[in-house]
Parts: sequence; C-alpha cells; structure tokens
Amino acid sequence: MLKVKNLHASVGDKEILKGLDLEVKAGEIHAIMGPNGSGKSTLSAVLAGRDEYEVTAGEVDYLGKELLELNPEERSWEGIFLAFQYPVEIPGVSNVNFLKTAINERRKYFEQDPIAAKDFLKMVKEKSALVELNDKLKNRSVNVGFSGGEKKRNEVFQMAMLEPKLSILDETDSGLDIDALRIVAHGVNTLKSKDNAAIVITHYQRLLDYIIPDFVHVLYEGRIIKTGGKELALELEEKGYDWLTKAEA
Amino acid sequence: MAVLKENNLLNSLSQMGVGLGAKNQAFELLKGMEFPTRKTEDWRYTSVKKILKKKYVQFNEAEQVDLSNEIAPPLDAYNIVLVNGVYSKELSDINFPDEIVVDTFPNALEEHVSLIHSTFNVIAKNNEEIFTALNTSYFNEGIFIHIPKKVKLNKSIHVIHVNTKSNVVSNVRLLVVADSFSEVSVIQSFASKNAVECLTNSVTEVFVKENAKVVLDKVQSEESNNNLICTVQVNQKANSTFKINTATVSGDFVRNGVNIDVDGENCISEMNGLYMQKGVQHVDNHTKVSHLKPNCTSFELYKGVLRDKSTGVFNGKVIVEVDAQKIEAYQQNRNIILSREATMNAKPELEIFADDVKCSHGTTTGQFDEEAIFYLQTRGIGKESAQALLVEAFADEVLDKVDSEELRIWIKEKLG
Repeated sequence: MLKVKNLHASVGDKEILKGLDLEVKAGEIHAIMGPNGSGKSTLSAVLAGRDEYEVTAGEVDYLGKELLELNPEERSWEGIFLAFQYPVEIPGVSNVNFLKTAINERRKYFEQDPIAAKDFLKMVKEKSALVELNDKLKNRSVNVGFSGGEKKRNEVFQMAMLEPKLSILDETDSGLDIDALRIVAHGVNTLKSKDNAAIVITHYQRLLDYIIPDFVHVLYEGRIIKTGGKELALELEEKGYDWLTKAEA
Repeated sequence: MAVLKENNLLNSLSQMGVGLGAKNQAFELLKGMEFPTRKTEDWRYTSVKKILKKKYVQFNEAEQVDLSNEIAPPLDAYNIVLVNGVYSKELSDINFPDEIVVDTFPNALEEHVSLIHSTFNVIAKNNEEIFTALNTSYFNEGIFIHIPKKVKLNKSIHVIHVNTKSNVVSNVRLLVVADSFSEVSVIQSFASKNAVECLTNSVTEVFVKENAKVVLDKVQSEESNNNLICTVQVNQKANSTFKINTATVSGDFVRNGVNIDVDGENCISEMNGLYMQKGVQHVDNHTKVSHLKPNCTSFELYKGVLRDKSTGVFNGKVIVEVDAQKIEAYQQNRNIILSREATMNAKPELEIFADDVKCSHGTTTGQFDEEAIFYLQTRGIGKESAQALLVEAFADEVLDKVDSEELRIWIKEKLG
C-alpha cells in the first residue's frame, strides 16, 4: 500500500528525515516509536502533505501513485487520513457541516452525487456511537471547547466517517486518560480490516496495549534504526531507547 | 466659500422647503464649513475628493421602480420606499397601526409639530460633520417615525433607499422617536438599480427613551461605482436598549458613522458590523459611543473580509465620562485580508475618565489560519472550499446578531 524509500525532509535549513524507509501493506498496523525530536511528527506531516516540510530526496509510492505529487485534499480523497496530535479548533464551522462538506468534496472527486441527508445522518449516528461522541459535540464548532479526550475521539469519529485506507495516528494517546484511550483504541480496532492499514505514531508503549501492532519501528535521528514485532515495544518500555541509540552512535 | 463654489456636489443641489427652520440654519452653517481632506483626522484614510468633483442630478419627484428581491431584502415588514431620495407614496405602505406615526416631515408636521420640533435635528452634529449639515440643508421630505409609549411593534419598518438613475444625489433623512417602554425594529436598506456614480448621503436620528428598545439594521448593497455616506446619531435614556447592525455587501465608497450618546443608567448598546469587499471598494466604519451615565454596557463587534485591491477603515471610539462609573465596554474589530493589495486601517480609541470601569478592545488583521486550512484539506476539503468555509464561519458571528432570519439569509446570499 505504502512504500517510503530513502525519504529526506527539512524544515527551513534543518534536515529532519534523513533517509527513511518504510513499507506498509494492507491489513497491517505499524507502530512508530522514538524519542522526542526523532522525526515522528515530521513523517506524519510529510505523508499528509503539509507544505512547510520540504522533501529533498526520496519517494513515496501509495497504491501505485506518487504520493508527494498530490496536494493534501487529493491524498484525503485517495484514502489517507491523519489524526492530528493537536486537532485544530475551527470556530463557527460545525462539526457535522464540516464532515458533510468533506464527504461531498470526495464524492465530487469520484464523480458521485452528494450524499443524501438521510444516509449522512444515519452514518453520523452510527460512527459517533463508536467513539461515544454525544450529540452536543457533533453539532458544535469543530473542536472548540472540546476537552483533550473529546478532541481525540472526534479525530477517530472523523476517521470513521471518511473510511480511509491508510490512517496515520500522530500521538493520538497524548493527553488521554485511560478511559478515553480505551474508547479511541476501540474505535481504531473496530475500523481495522484486511483492506486498510494504520501507522500509529506514539511515544509510549501504553497505546500498544490496546492497539496491537504487527510491526514496531524505532525512529531515531530521521531514520528507522530498528524494526521488530509487538514485543519490541515492551522491550523499549523496559529498557528505554538508550541501548539502541548508543549502538547507533 | 471658495471651497463651496468650486464644488460640483454643492452646485448640483437645491433646497426644498419643508417647514423646518433647522434647514436654513444648517444652510448658513454650511457656508462657513469646509469639506474634509486627508489631513482631517476623522477622514485620514477616506478621501472625498472624487465625490465632490462629480456632477449630480437631484430628483424632487419619485420615479416608478420595480422592486425585485434582488434590490431590497423581501421582508415581512412595513415598507417605506424612497426612490432617488424622494418618498414614493405608490410603493410605500400607508396602512400602519393607528397608534404609530410613519410619514414624511411635511405631512407629520401638521399633527406632531411640537414633537418634531423637540427632536428633529437636536442630536445631529451639523456643526461637526459637514455631510450632516449638507443633509439637513438639502434633504427632500424625510421620514418621521414615532412609536408612542408602551407600543411594541411586532413587524419591522423597512425603509428602502433605491437609486434608479445614474448621477443621482440624494440626501435622505430619518428620525425615529421611540417613547418609553416601546419597541421597534427598523431596517434601512440602500441599493441601486441600473444606476452608477450616485451619491446617497443619509442621516438618521434615533431617540431611545426610558426602557425602550430599538434595533436598527442597515443593509448596504449599492452597485459598484456608487457612493454612500450614512450617519446615525443615537440618544439613549435610562434602561433602554439600542442595537445597530451594519452589513456592507457592496459599493465602491461607503462611509458609516455611528454615534451613540448613552444618556441614562442601565442601558445596553450594541454595534455590529460586517463588510465583505472586493475590487477597489472602500468601506469606512467610524463608531463612537459616549458613556455619560453610570452602570451601562456597550458591545461592539466589527468584522471584515478584504479581497483584491479593496481598502477598509475601522475607527471605534469609546468615551467614558468622569461620572460614568461601572461601565462595561467591549470592542472588537477583526479582519481577514485575502490579497496582498488589500489594505485595512484599524484604530480603536478609548478615552476613559472614570476609574471604576471594565473596558476591553482588540483588533486583529491577518490572513487565514493556515493550520485550520491544512486541517480541512486533510479531511478532503479543497483549499478554496476551505477558505469559503472559514469566511462563512467568520461572517456568521456577526450575521447571528441580526434577529430576522429572512434578512440574515438575504445578506448571506448577497455575500455569495
């Protein structure tokens, strides 16, 4: 599904990704872990198409398309979804209205008619139940006045509504209490199928108790320095990153 | 005097006698006044040079016009129509509830001479504002609205100003007197139909007596190339509420002046404005609220979106006099600039002489929130749609202040 080869990316003069390789197949969940400043959020931003990040080398193949050639909305239409570490507040734009616009823009891209109001409402009801998002939040301005946990649940609600092929969850566990974590993880697990994939970027092993990864990668100084199974996360939890980063140095 | 003679605007005007001595006084006053230049502080960013140079035609009889929904918002209201500045009896409603007065000054003077003499031109600042003096001197018949004590009008009064011929100059005058415990909503819409290079100079005086409530909605949707100067002068007495909403949809030159004297305790004053400009449009909003008595609250929210080469001015003055303790005054002006060539000049001014007050003001002028745009894009909302969504959300905050849903919808459609 996704093949990242020798990816280099910079912000301003500072190179952050320094030759990253990653391959994700349908049906897989990949966890990307690593210490602060290793490039985890840069990777998610580059994959989603944020233009402050300049890709200086490498290529990203997504379902046979050159991903880096697509703008952020095209990536979304093609099935990429980024759950933000810090979901953005958008005053005055209602959550539901925003999702309807999003779904209809994608339908337009695939030359489909706008979604029928009835179908849309049914979908909202079904998908919001998945993350226990109440009616009041659905109709409020996007993320405005939401608690940290509500924002993350709203991200997963949007993910459920947009039915992506490849989801990138950027530190979705940060700022979550254990109940919210469980709800978010339940949402992600329910949405998992053999046809879609997820990249879970996280600092802590904790989230991986709930979302079981097929692969765990350690990102350090812009490159993946170790890949293993889910047991690698436990090892990292126990030993920290030092034993790996020191070996690297 | 020299200024007056060289001035095509003044040469285009002729006086109508309507039995009001104030007109002659204003005319005399006008002789000693000069039009503002860029050196005049209140007109620093708004030049009237082009307006004064043009030749205009003044109409004294009302033309027939087909008022489609395009021109004026179709509201369930009592309509008063002025065509090229002249009251049209044919187009206006004449059946009002018995207790209220809605009429031209010449007609109203027959029965309400003392009320008119005690209110008309009393709060208009003829000696400070040349366009007010000009209006007082040259307005045609004017409109007088009187809502007596305890009368609550459940239908709005919609005063429609429409220019139907090019180069028309119209001085339009409105006086609203809302007696104690009365309630009224007045809408003034300004539009043109197949007319360019017009100048409308409007002055509205509003008296909000004790415990009364007045809402004034101004909707400005002039075609391009037209010029509009609107001055609203308000006097509020104790326990009264006054709200003014100004929506500027189009018009190449628009200058709005709103001056409120809060002359009683426990009043609420609200001023909201929305301007969405493109091309070379210029919109100037000058507001002034003077808190003369204690225990009052004023709210102000003006928001604008500027595209292309448009220019905007916001100048909001809040004055709290020495005896006006326990005042709460909140002012906000927010602008989004969508083009490198658009300019906004924003200036909040607070003059506070009392010591126990709560005042805040803030002004921001910037581009879109790029974070929000990117967030929307990642959800599959294209950049342009994302911008449109954000503009709509930005404008909605002001539009929500408009009570009438049909008016809100009409403005929204006009904004596109």
